[in-house]
Amino acid sequence: MSRPNFVDNSGLSGRADRAARALPRAAARLASAAQGLAAPLVLLAGWDIGARLGWLPEQILPPPTEVLGALRETLQDGSLLSSTLTSLRRVAQGFFAGAVAGLAFGFAIGASPGTRALLTPLFLSLSHVPTLGWIPILILFVGIDESLKILVIGWAAFVPVALNAAQGVRDVPRAYLELGRVLSFSRWSRFQSIVLPSAVPSIFTGLREGLANSWQTLVAVELIASFEGLGYLMAYGRQLFQLELVLAAMIVIAVIGLTIHVLLGLIESHLQRWNPR
Amino acid sequence: MKMLHLAVLAAGLAMASPASAETLIRIGYPGTGLDDRPFAYGDYIAVAHVQKLVEAEFADQPDIKVTWTFFRGAGPALNESLAAGQLDFAAGLGDLPSIVGRSRGLDTKFLASAGEHDALYLAVPPNSSIATIDDLKGHKVAQFRGTNLQIATDRVLEAHRLTEKDIRFVSLDSNAATAALVSGAVEASFGGAEYLDLAKRGVIKIIYSTKNDDPTLGRNAGLFVTGEFEKAHPDYTAKVVHAFIKAARFASDEANRSAVFEIWAKSGLPVESFAADFAAERLAHRITPVIDAFIVNRYKDQAQRAKAYGLVKKDVDIDSWFEPKYLQQALADLKLEHFWPTYDVNGKVVTSGDVEQTKAASN
Repeated sequence: MSRPNFVDNSGLSGRADRAARALPRAAARLASAAQGLAAPLVLLAGWDIGARLGWLPEQILPPPTEVLGALRETLQDGSLLSSTLTSLRRVAQGFFAGAVAGLAFGFAIGASPGTRALLTPLFLSLSHVPTLGWIPILILFVGIDESLKILVIGWAAFVPVALNAAQGVRDVPRAYLELGRVLSFSRWSRFQSIVLPSAVPSIFTGLREGLANSWQTLVAVELIASFEGLGYLMAYGRQLFQLELVLAAMIVIAVIGLTIHVLLGLIESHLQRWNPR
Repeated sequence: MKMLHLAVLAAGLAMASPASAETLIRIGYPGTGLDDRPFAYGDYIAVAHVQKLVEAEFADQPDIKVTWTFFRGAGPALNESLAAGQLDFAAGLGDLPSIVGRSRGLDTKFLASAGEHDALYLAVPPNSSIATIDDLKGHKVAQFRGTNLQIATDRVLEAHRLTEKDIRFVSLDSNAATAALVSGAVEASFGGAEYLDLAKRGVIKIIYSTKNDDPTLGRNAGLFVTGEFEKAHPDYTAKVVHAFIKAARFASDEANRSAVFEIWAKSGLPVESFAADFAAERLAHRITPVIDAFIVNRYKDQAQRAKAYGLVKKDVDIDSWFEPKYLQQALADLKLEHFWPTYDVNGKVVTSGDVEQTKAASN
């Protein structure tokens, strides 16, 4: 079992170690990226062949070339960029608010048995209402404008972030906490040097899930009532039977989702650098 | 290969199902009544549905079953269903969605008109400062996208030198738009007869209507059959058209005015709304199955405009769309060749029609 190095987490030995491991690791990453591309390429080929042979009517599955055309067209008229920026802003605001609140709430119920007993039943029951189930009642309270979208996206992020943060805090090995007590750490340094590092994997699981939820919810709220954004673009494409526009927006959403996923992974491994897995 | 598998599977399912001899005639309607009630209003389709006229045509053929589907998602949802091969007839499909469907290669035949001159209203909250179409600029307005409301709206805007980009359109279906307007979530909404009752009760006010404007600004709808069904069952197609023309005969006769409004009221909208919608207007002005120069030209014009507004990508061929032989047959069988008025390309009356001789319009 590996032990976190509380006192010195940027030691010289660690740095040399990392340098020695970096090269083969980069090669391995490249190989796994190539592997990861195989499935989408097969899917793309199947899609192209399927469209050519007319397996499905063109209205239902437009060929990849048409989707590319839609991407190009919406890029040229600027609607794709402005929709993407609008959606990114909504997710950023909603996710940030939801994640901050979720972390605070998760730490609170994770660290304090009293708070946990008081709030967990309510939180758990509310978290079982599907995110979209909140929309009708939220519309009555806040209307259909930005605040509705931010709230719904925020809630979508809040639930998994809070659950996983609480789990991470609760699962800190007792031995670590005892060590902190023995060394007479203050409450804050116990949290900062023991609880937080140990809870990082769990917290990041929550953040990742929360971010994925935020994206999915974004599309749903933008489908309902809006006049800009990627979800809106999809709704528009659907209503005017331009499935290539729907697919183009889906591709943008997927690419952004993947990018964010990778970025979060990088941040996580950076924060976890003390932990030689 | 895959199609073969599907075909084998479908054949297997068909053999396994006990009602394998049954033929389904699947009719789709682009809309619902209030709160999703499965009823139509404002056209002869509603009369055919409520009076079960299509079903009656096949009364002596128990192996034929007629099904009706009402799409809350209106024309766009109906198009998806057509594309998926789940419908045989689209009854009352609006001009824009049918043109969009055709531009995407949906194989349909235009059998008969299912309504023209359908009015478009602009509703705002009672205390709104929006008083004219021009005032809409920059405001948040509900619009049911992809339906014939959208192109009718775009045309009205164009007449006021505005485009969709000048207005912040929120896509909402009819029921949601009413709720959004009443709660103040949107500042205005384009729609049909569904706003008239609310206006009467003072919940909203109507500040514009196409009723007294250029006759070509109204909305159109049609009766369509899929090419596949028409080819396989020309005899059934003829019977279905026959039933709908009977319904049109009933629905456009002023003697039936209140009966027709009662039938439409099954949608949940009150009779008074229809009375207001048709105030000083003959039923036959809107309710006619006839394919005349006006209708052909309306569709050609709408197809061009749809392309100009960026709603469709390709030119849509209108001329080859019409298949009027079933209509002509039904009109001859029912001796209704001269029953409805006909209009020229600009909407001027060419022949007045016997229906004009029926009791005068009254409210």
